Amino acid sequence: MPTWEEKLADTLDPQLADEIDKFATEITLRKQGKLDEKVFAETRLRRGCYGQRYDNGHRHDGIRSQELHYPADLTKGPDTLWDAPGMQRIKIPFGGMNPDQMDVLADLAEEYADGVLHVTTRQDIQYHFIHIDDTPAIMRRLGAVGITTREACGNSVRNVTACPLAGVCKTETFDVVPYAKATARFMLGHPDAQNFGRKFKIAFSGCRQEACGLANMHDMGLIAATRVEDGKVRRGFELYVGGGLGAVPHDAKLFDEFLPEEELLPFTQAIARVFARLGEKKQRDRARLKFLIAKLGIEEFKTLVVEERKVLAHDTRWTEYLGGVEAYGEKPLKPPTFLNGQKRPEGFDAWYSTNVYRQKQEGYVVASVTLPLGDLSSWQMRELANVARRFSGDSVRTTVEQNIVLRWVSETDLPDLYRELARIGLGAPGAGTIVDVTACPGTDTCKLGISSSRGLAGELRTRLAAKSFNLDEAVKNLRIKISGCFNSCGQHHIADLGFFGTTLTINNRKVPHFQVVLGGKWQDNGGAYGLALVRVPSKRIPEVIDRITDRYVRERTAAENFQDFVKRTGKKELRNMLEDLTKVPPYEVDPSFYSDWGDPREYTIGDMGTGECAGEVISAAQFDLAAADRLVFEAQLHLDGGDYTNADRLAYRAMLQAALSLIRAEWPEAPDEADTITREFRTRFFDTNIWGDRYAGSKFAQYMFARHAAPPNVNTHDQAHRLVEESQLFVEAVYRGHDILTERGQK
Amino acid sequence: MELHRFGIKLFAAEPADIRVKDFVPVFHSWIQRQAVEGHLLIDVHDYGHIQNGPGILLVAHEGNFCTDMAEGKLGLAYFRKQPAGASVESHLDSALKAARQAASLLEQEAVFEGRLRFRKDELLVIANDRLLAPNDAATFATLQSPLTKVFGTGAKLLHASTNPKDRLTVRVTGNPLS
Repeated sequence: MPTWEEKLADTLDPQLADEIDKFATEITLRKQGKLDEKVFAETRLRRGCYGQRYDNGHRHDGIRSQELHYPADLTKGPDTLWDAPGMQRIKIPFGGMNPDQMDVLADLAEEYADGVLHVTTRQDIQYHFIHIDDTPAIMRRLGAVGITTREACGNSVRNVTACPLAGVCKTETFDVVPYAKATARFMLGHPDAQNFGRKFKIAFSGCRQEACGLANMHDMGLIAATRVEDGKVRRGFELYVGGGLGAVPHDAKLFDEFLPEEELLPFTQAIARVFARLGEKKQRDRARLKFLIAKLGIEEFKTLVVEERKVLAHDTRWTEYLGGVEAYGEKPLKPPTFLNGQKRPEGFDAWYSTNVYRQKQEGYVVASVTLPLGDLSSWQMRELANVARRFSGDSVRTTVEQNIVLRWVSETDLPDLYRELARIGLGAPGAGTIVDVTACPGTDTCKLGISSSRGLAGELRTRLAAKSFNLDEAVKNLRIKISGCFNSCGQHHIADLGFFGTTLTINNRKVPHFQVVLGGKWQDNGGAYGLALVRVPSKRIPEVIDRITDRYVRERTAAENFQDFVKRTGKKELRNMLEDLTKVPPYEVDPSFYSDWGDPREYTIGDMGTGECAGEVISAAQFDLAAADRLVFEAQLHLDGGDYTNADRLAYRAMLQAALSLIRAEWPEAPDEADTITREFRTRFFDTNIWGDRYAGSKFAQYMFARHAAPPNVNTHDQAHRLVEESQLFVEAVYRGHDILTERGQK
Repeated sequence: MELHRFGIKLFAAEPADIRVKDFVPVFHSWIQRQAVEGHLLIDVHDYGHIQNGPGILLVAHEGNFCTDMAEGKLGLAYFRKQPAGASVESHLDSALKAARQAASLLEQEAVFEGRLRFRKDELLVIANDRLLAPNDAATFATLQSPLTKVFGTGAKLLHASTNPKDRLTVRVTGNPLS
């Protein structure tokens, strides 16, 4: 029987073929027990093969935790069974795809996954429910059309992203695509990028004021810039470093106002070398570049990078691509035309108003294809490839808002294009509006998911789409972003209305919740990070949105944007407005609160320890935790008011209060004294690792220990913001610690 | 390895006034009791928001079950992932058995109140492997023998699409399930 390896032997780039061969061999070695599971885990991650929920062989089916007996005992990583379905992430640099690649992507989803392609918030494409044995064939078939999965996960340079409008944007300084392409190619498998403690993300923007490439939240964010020197316009980049979302978001720091284009690749390499050499390796939660820069300070980091740059051995690849940069451009499929009085199909006008962007090249437009939850079927992808062949040629991009855009569409073609998109179920309006909700996979497939981000996103999308025609214009343009946990894969920090999943135990039953995050900014390359306001049961989030948006419409002053409205109204008032929504009815009154959106299983039952004594202790502890919640919130209010010292003081106090709640569950008379609290918390809960590996509680405890050991001199909003964020996460972790202790019956 | 990734689509008999969302709790309950023989049932996903996608998906290690709206008609599809047996016929037969078992279970589900019935006079067989079963006349000819062995000599086999990009799909009529 033929194999893909034989069939594609002459088609694949030899280096890529060799890389895939090596991985196939590693699979064989692992199966023979000749490769350690940890080593294999990292090697598969570097090929984009990720774990998925329930791959440890356990799943709660709504009644009990069921053991899933897969045929093989073998593992593909610690606590990760070989036969368990996994996820395959596929890098799509700058989101660029052509129709032939789209065909192959569609075929592979159909043959090896579940017939669905998922566009991620970093322009990748993901398949779910993949068997690890199928991955080499997937990689070969992708490789044959110029796509790689190499370094799509793991501690490596991830997909290089860029603004999906690059090259056609009316406000860009220049087209960043050739630079993004060159950087992606140069850093792929680069020896200097193989020894990171964590991942490294790069993004390119064409302009500063739009959301564009979201440069502010990347390890390396580059914004196109020009400078006139000796009468000549020189290209370069405003370079930012050390940004990132994650549990604790960091604003990127300005590294250089103007990095000349010929220095882009050498400086990327130099930064990678410094990160690899000095970045944290053991403590994973402190290993991103943002922590290194926070530790060294931007000036020291800059000095180190500049020194590193000086000693780099010259590499011809640094500049050889620059010869083609000025001439780089896409050839439109058709001549430019205008939409002059053509007959418009039903639904066209609504779609046109939100999904069409006029390019800087007259007569051409970018058409957004809205993908609900970032999903499309293999059939749709193949049909969309044909649509692209007919209307836009090779110029297709995925976006960080989990959509696809077709560029260089001749304007006259829009009615026909719309008809075709509607025919294949991709003609929904609302791109880039409140209806176009972004969500990470959450509890659907992610091992870390706490609440159902996709379930909530689907529900909100349905509700908002139904009333979109009646929505006020100011509300229409807000953005909702949802993460299933605190890790920010749904980018909730930079949304107008952000949500991240959490949970609460009420009367010994778990209830899915979301933290409401306000104050984030999508524009200005992800210009500001929001903070959690209040924890609300998942089933009441639609009411949260109604209340906040109604009030915004009612009370906003002329031309007041949402961020300013939030600031003016004040978080205290907004929280008060939502307070009644935090209440959860008893299970007997409304059991729907005890299951998540789109999932009829009860969120959790059965496993927990019960008993009146435990109930009393927990009630007391929950009271203390509520006090910690209040303190974090008050810290936020001081932060918003510019009182950083008090923001820090209360954030720290909140952590102590939360820690004390756990300590008092074991030692009711424990004194409220900082040294005792930190010491006792370390001994009783940190050293004993009550959270285990599945929960991030241990890492959050470090925030309290660090703050206690060295009270910082908090001078900037950035510093205070981080402390408040850390405090919030620690309190959340203590809530989870409580649940764990309750379940274990260790009170 | 020989061709084993077969898909089977069974069509619901009309009129089938069924809400696709009702399959979600049904599939979850199947996991609770591991209801499908020879399958490790793992998870349920709602892809109802996608056109011509898997609808409501029940993931199993051996193969996936899903509602299917291809050709605009509600149906149940099963896609085998793991080999079952030693020949193309045995793989095909195994896929058919799984699809029929699932269809039978669905017909008995109380939530559908007897309104869901699957047709016995027509089904689709999909060879879900573009390497071992390219969509061409030669492959169709090769598959005629195993298809006839599984469905009987009375079954009529029609090559459903000649588009080389499609998976090889055979429409089986002539009461293949009776």
